[in-house]
Amino acid sequence: MIPAFEAAAAHEPASVAEAARVMEQLAREGRRVGFVGGGTELELGAPPERIDAVVRTRGLRRIVEYQPADMVMVVEAGVTLAEMQAAAREHRQRLALDPPWPDRATIGGIVATGAFGPRRARYGAVRDLIIGVQLVRADGTVARGGGKVVKNVAGFDLPKLACGSLGTLGLIAGATFRLHPLPETSQTVVVSGLSPAEVVAMVSRVRAAQLEPVAAAALRGPSGYDLALCFEGFGKGVEQQIGTLRQLAPAARATEDAWARHDEVRTGGPLRIKVAALPSQLPEVDRLVAPLGLRFAWYATLGLGFASGASVEHAAGLIADARAELARRGGSLVVQAALSTLRVDPWGPPPPAFPLFERLKQNFDPDRRLNPGRFVGGL
Amino acid sequence: MILYTCPERELVVELHRAMISEAAIRSLRQAVGERNCITEPEQLRTYECDGLTSFRLTPAVVVLPETTAEVVEVVKVAHAHGLPLVPRGSGTGLSGGALPVPGCVLVGLARMKRILEIDLPNGWMRVEPGVINLEVSRRLAPEGYYYAPDPSSQSVCSIGGNVAENSGGAHCLKYGFTVNHVLGARVVLADGSVVELGGPVLDTPGYDLTGALVGSEGTLGIVTEVVLRVLRKPEATRTFFATFPSTDEAGNAVSRIIAAGIVPAAIEMMDRLAIVAIKAATGVDWPDVGAALLMDVDGPLAEVEHTAQEAVRIAREAGALLVRLPKDEAERQTMWKGRKSAFAAVGRISPNYMVQDGVIPRSVIAPVLREIEELATRAGLRIANVFHAGDGNLHPLVLYDARIHGQEELAEKVGGEILRACIRAGGSITGEHGVGADKAPYMGELFSEDDLATMALLRCSFDPEGRMNPGKIFPTPRLCGDRPGKYTPHPLEESGEAGRG
Repeated sequence: MIPAFEAAAAHEPASVAEAARVMEQLAREGRRVGFVGGGTELELGAPPERIDAVVRTRGLRRIVEYQPADMVMVVEAGVTLAEMQAAAREHRQRLALDPPWPDRATIGGIVATGAFGPRRARYGAVRDLIIGVQLVRADGTVARGGGKVVKNVAGFDLPKLACGSLGTLGLIAGATFRLHPLPETSQTVVVSGLSPAEVVAMVSRVRAAQLEPVAAAALRGPSGYDLALCFEGFGKGVEQQIGTLRQLAPAARATEDAWARHDEVRTGGPLRIKVAALPSQLPEVDRLVAPLGLRFAWYATLGLGFASGASVEHAAGLIADARAELARRGGSLVVQAALSTLRVDPWGPPPPAFPLFERLKQNFDPDRRLNPGRFVGGL
Repeated sequence: MILYTCPERELVVELHRAMISEAAIRSLRQAVGERNCITEPEQLRTYECDGLTSFRLTPAVVVLPETTAEVVEVVKVAHAHGLPLVPRGSGTGLSGGALPVPGCVLVGLARMKRILEIDLPNGWMRVEPGVINLEVSRRLAPEGYYYAPDPSSQSVCSIGGNVAENSGGAHCLKYGFTVNHVLGARVVLADGSVVELGGPVLDTPGYDLTGALVGSEGTLGIVTEVVLRVLRKPEATRTFFATFPSTDEAGNAVSRIIAAGIVPAAIEMMDRLAIVAIKAATGVDWPDVGAALLMDVDGPLAEVEHTAQEAVRIAREAGALLVRLPKDEAERQTMWKGRKSAFAAVGRISPNYMVQDGVIPRSVIAPVLREIEELATRAGLRIANVFHAGDGNLHPLVLYDARIHGQEELAEKVGGEILRACIRAGGSITGEHGVGADKAPYMGELFSEDDLATMALLRCSFDPEGRMNPGKIFPTPRLCGDRPGKYTPHPLEESGEAGRG
């Protein structure tokens, strides 16, 4: 736990109404507030300038509503992803989201950080699965956006605004999601020993062949990249797709091991980095990330990669260089976690829309009390 | 509900023009050129309404910019003169989103229709807002790619309009809505500044303002470029058409197909009256039945063969009277054409109709449909139902004859009751058409004051003066920095030029 969160007075509301009362009280006292869910991503962002009070969401752990026939679940923020999945699994459903640490990561935290895993390739990010949100604003006002139906364009999309907002606009007290059916079968095949350019070529062949992997992760190893492609659905469809893939890559082997390796990259440390570029830019990304000496996983259809491991000596300089190069190509680099000795800006220069971010923050949190300084551009 | 009626059109134009100074009009002419600045009353009428034709107001001036720079100039003129701006795409919207407001500059974006960049290996393209939805997929078809959102108006509606309304379509059940397919946008804000949101590379650090922009109905800014996600065409599509004794059995079939773990690409329902209308208008040889389903599954061949077979089996078990599989692509297209022309078809069996866009949880389709039927019977009106059954997005078409005194008001009332039934069922007042001017009065029934005030915080961040498409979405004007105040009637309303009914 990072010091700012540790030192602060903790509140643990047991209901959204209580959370609202706590927030109102903290507003009256002018306290600076941080939010903690499962504590899996507390290192994300700049260390907050000062936190007087922490609101923990672990008391908010009700599954509020679940209508399996509608494939929609309403949960409070402190419910963990694993708890949500267990409830959905009873009806052969799931939230099609697979970020790291499902046993600890809470729904509120997942929304706040915009966390995701390899299945984003098929099902999208949190923003694509969330259909409703309940926010407690800086002054304790409870506001709702979206609703309980998947298709809904009434009013501004507050649920999407909450995604990735890192507790700077309000406490995410609850969220509503669309669910998907659990697939009948799930199978992974791995094509090994690929150069970065070969990964790009392979993905393009997969697309040309109209295969539809739900996840495509290229893991860097000593002898090149291993491209893991996961196919899900009904048995016959999966079988056909894997058959076609074997024609494209005769050496492909069926194995689920790749995902354990993938998870190690996603949960490794102490340095953890996220890079974003176009999928075809893997060769450049590889060249930029390689000197850092980290393990690396690349979501090959999305153009998003994660690197983790021990920090090399000149990491700060290498990160700055890589970030500048990626930015020139329209991409970005975020340091998700690092030892405090590594002096590096976690976000890099803010994007062109930053003046809008500032106005949004000013309107939602005029006294700048929510996670001050933690988000992009020191918001 | 704000009803803009203007029998003395030219008088109204004059009144509005009085609110726009000659100096402002001169500057607008300079911004877009003489030819693209319209002030002739006759020509202005083209822009007096969108697809929701029961709301009309002739704008005082229409500008048709061709570049982002021209849009910036127009917006700066409006900024300098404190004029409201109403953006407009193809004008096919069904909620009055592009309805002019008194004294506004209406910004038509139809001339901005260039496709700027296509990057298939990375699955995106950049287009201007006036590009027609279907044109995008046509352009990509030779390469085997397409753009997924397919509103029924896709042959005429524009991408900019789709972004404003977060348009859906039959196939969004599996693929999502416009917001799931827009990666970024260039936006001109109310003060004339230009911002880039998102882009072809995912996850720009910071707030997801692209997500907030899509569906904001032109109230946050004017979009001048859009980055779209494009998809590889699926290997195979299987379609079937099934008839049922009533919407109860058809609804049950939908629930059971989805409960079996099948995610159809689209699953559409039509009731008896809709089928009658479609048959009369398009000549499809569908039988006279209580309800019909039209369903697509797509994906890898073996997967769709399996799911199509399963879905047909389930439909039969659920009481399907007849299941028809198209023998070729032409027949499939005919089936879909029948569905997509449903609104127009209903227009042929009734002098007027009003379409609603309520959404309900899928599990209560049958009881809510019965409630709608009772509402119709009590009012003595006919209601045809054509809708996206997979996601519970109803499109009840309330049929009426405006020549019969009081019938339009009655239809409005029934429409409102339908929306209330959707709210009571835990749903929403709009699934894809937008709130616009039409449904703004119902927002207060769906959301609390605090919810709406929170949405206003977003609005104020983009447009602190509230000049971008004012009067849409929100039931009362909300001033930035103020507590929401009571509704104040517009001078035109007070003078009787425009009414609120």
